[in-house]
Amino acid sequence: MKALVTGANGFLGRHVVQALLARGIDVRAMVRPAARLDAFGWPSSVEIFRADLRTSRELVRAFADVDVLIHLAAVVSGGEDAQFSGTVAGTERLLDAMAGSSCRRLVLCSSFSVYDYSATRGTLDENSPLQQTPDVYSRGGYTIAKWWQERVTRREAEKHGWDLTVIRPGFIWGRDHGYLAALGQQIGRHHIVIGPLTRIPMTHVENCADVFALAALDPRARGQTLNVVDGPGERVWAYLSDHMRGIGEPGWRLPIPHWLASAAVRLAFVTVFRRATKVPAILTPKKFDAMLKPLRFDDRKLRETLGWKPPLDYRQCLARTYGPESSPAEAPVPWSSGTATST
Amino acid sequence: MKAALIGAGQIARQHLACLNTLPGVELAAICDLSPATAEAAAERYGIPAWFTDHRAMLEKVRPDVVHVTTPPTSHFRLAMDSLDAGAHVIVEKPATSTFEELETLTRRATETGRHIVEDYNYLFNHAPQEILRHIESGAFGAVTHVEVLICLDILGPGGFADPNSPHPALNLAGGAIADFLPHLASLAHVFVGPHRTARTAWSKRKPSPLPFDEFRCIVDAERGSAVLGFSSSAQPDAFWLRVYGERMQATANLFETRLTFDGPRNVPKPLRPFFSGLDEGRDIRRAALATLLRKFKGPGAYEGLWEFLARTYRALADDAVLPITSSDVLAVNRMVEALKPAEQRA
Repeated sequence: MKALVTGANGFLGRHVVQALLARGIDVRAMVRPAARLDAFGWPSSVEIFRADLRTSRELVRAFADVDVLIHLAAVVSGGEDAQFSGTVAGTERLLDAMAGSSCRRLVLCSSFSVYDYSATRGTLDENSPLQQTPDVYSRGGYTIAKWWQERVTRREAEKHGWDLTVIRPGFIWGRDHGYLAALGQQIGRHHIVIGPLTRIPMTHVENCADVFALAALDPRARGQTLNVVDGPGERVWAYLSDHMRGIGEPGWRLPIPHWLASAAVRLAFVTVFRRATKVPAILTPKKFDAMLKPLRFDDRKLRETLGWKPPLDYRQCLARTYGPESSPAEAPVPWSSGTATST
Repeated sequence: MKAALIGAGQIARQHLACLNTLPGVELAAICDLSPATAEAAAERYGIPAWFTDHRAMLEKVRPDVVHVTTPPTSHFRLAMDSLDAGAHVIVEKPATSTFEELETLTRRATETGRHIVEDYNYLFNHAPQEILRHIESGAFGAVTHVEVLICLDILGPGGFADPNSPHPALNLAGGAIADFLPHLASLAHVFVGPHRTARTAWSKRKPSPLPFDEFRCIVDAERGSAVLGFSSSAQPDAFWLRVYGERMQATANLFETRLTFDGPRNVPKPLRPFFSGLDEGRDIRRAALATLLRKFKGPGAYEGLWEFLARTYRALADDAVLPITSSDVLAVNRMVEALKPAEQRA
């Protein structure tokens, strides 16, 4: 079995490549033309396909002999337009190429950001309401791009009769990506912690990567939409403590109850800012909710559908994020063969 | 009046946001090669129709005005097709890759009885317009010299210098800086008129895919002189405009709202710098607040684009003289041609 992985050199992508190899899947890694790959320690069996989804021609060649596309590539920095054109128009070009190939199976990396947090009560799961148009356009460049990427992919999958799995990870964390938007507002080394007891929908990058590898292999994943979180998630205060200890940067933490911050943001939005469109994210109610709303999260559907459980527990994840770095060649494969698979 | 856009990325969003506020303007259709980009823009701005083929759009919608907001090398073909379909054309700068293409376009506009206008948005920002008002009132005195210097870091990996995806502007003579020449030339033109001669210095100081990252020029124009420049290295980002008159001087940063005037005052001469400094300090403090507030709402640094479009549509509706005429466009682009690197001029 061969997988084509887009965004293979990204934060998630490099771990997905390792996870696929660990499950015995051949990998063709699509990376941008100028990407540097020396640090990843990929074996020579990994085929490298250099292309930029925004401009490269002949993307169809990338699909030769490919059984499954794992589409992770997205532009996550820059302005709204750069993110939209890189993520959405790039996906259109990629799927156009797929339509000209014999590949029929596709795993898309979507995001929790497609959910309408403001309309969700209690538990956020795969049945929670999604952002709707035109509200989605007030959620910022990342959400607009990921929402449209999923929309375009679903349409194309339906049109061509492809087997699609949509995977929506929560906050992905790992080495050099320990600070999460759910932690509130950082001011220098100090933190305003909004809702210190709120749980974070988080998944460690290696656990998350394992889900992608499993979804590529397991026929039960076909046609499914699956949220990825490593269980109920850590509480903001506790995780921030671990993060600050991990990076060795002490600072003050000021806890503010969520209800108080939420009321203040909503009041300021309609009075001081008069519903202005370019207010910083944390001062915009919809974006504030998406970062900080106290909801419950679980991995029930993922467990029930694929029998998956996170290969690494929280302590192991902390050690891998903040502990000494092992060289890529020596890094042990974290998941045991005991992790449920079905092929 | 029915408006349509070709190109739904980047600058198009500013055109769309503005058009939605203009009285008597109906946003009729939008076109982009990417279906999702076109559809998203249509959904977001309440546009009833979207297309991926501009000819199909022109034929079906028959717009009165077409905005061409695609990358510059495609402007000529799209503007020609729009003129041929009987529409006025508002084209983003740089209007065309070569001066010959522009001449062809303006000829075709004359033949079809339509207008072609290039967007010189910074000309319509509050500061240049306020300086022009001072000049027209006679308070400023005749303009003798103008300086325009854009300091902008365009060497970051995500924009013009993207190592993965060559930016379309790199195909222009002068590379990425060519994208800014219409701003420099249009400001020089409005204050000192058409150029007579221009001496340029193009250089490259830092490693990047860009052919040049620094540009300076001295222009001798019909009504005065100009020094124009673009620097990728000078920081922080700023768009300095200085206008020197026979009675007053004005300084503005067009990325912000800062505008200060210095001129004669009714105080003993030794006290003049003191009172000038106080006034300047007051104006800068006010501008600091205005610059902060405009970050939350409205067009921000694109205020000039909104003003330019509002005046253009008003003039089109009244059949009056446009704020930018085709002879302005030709004169500005003659100057742009003179600013290009000598070996790459058409």
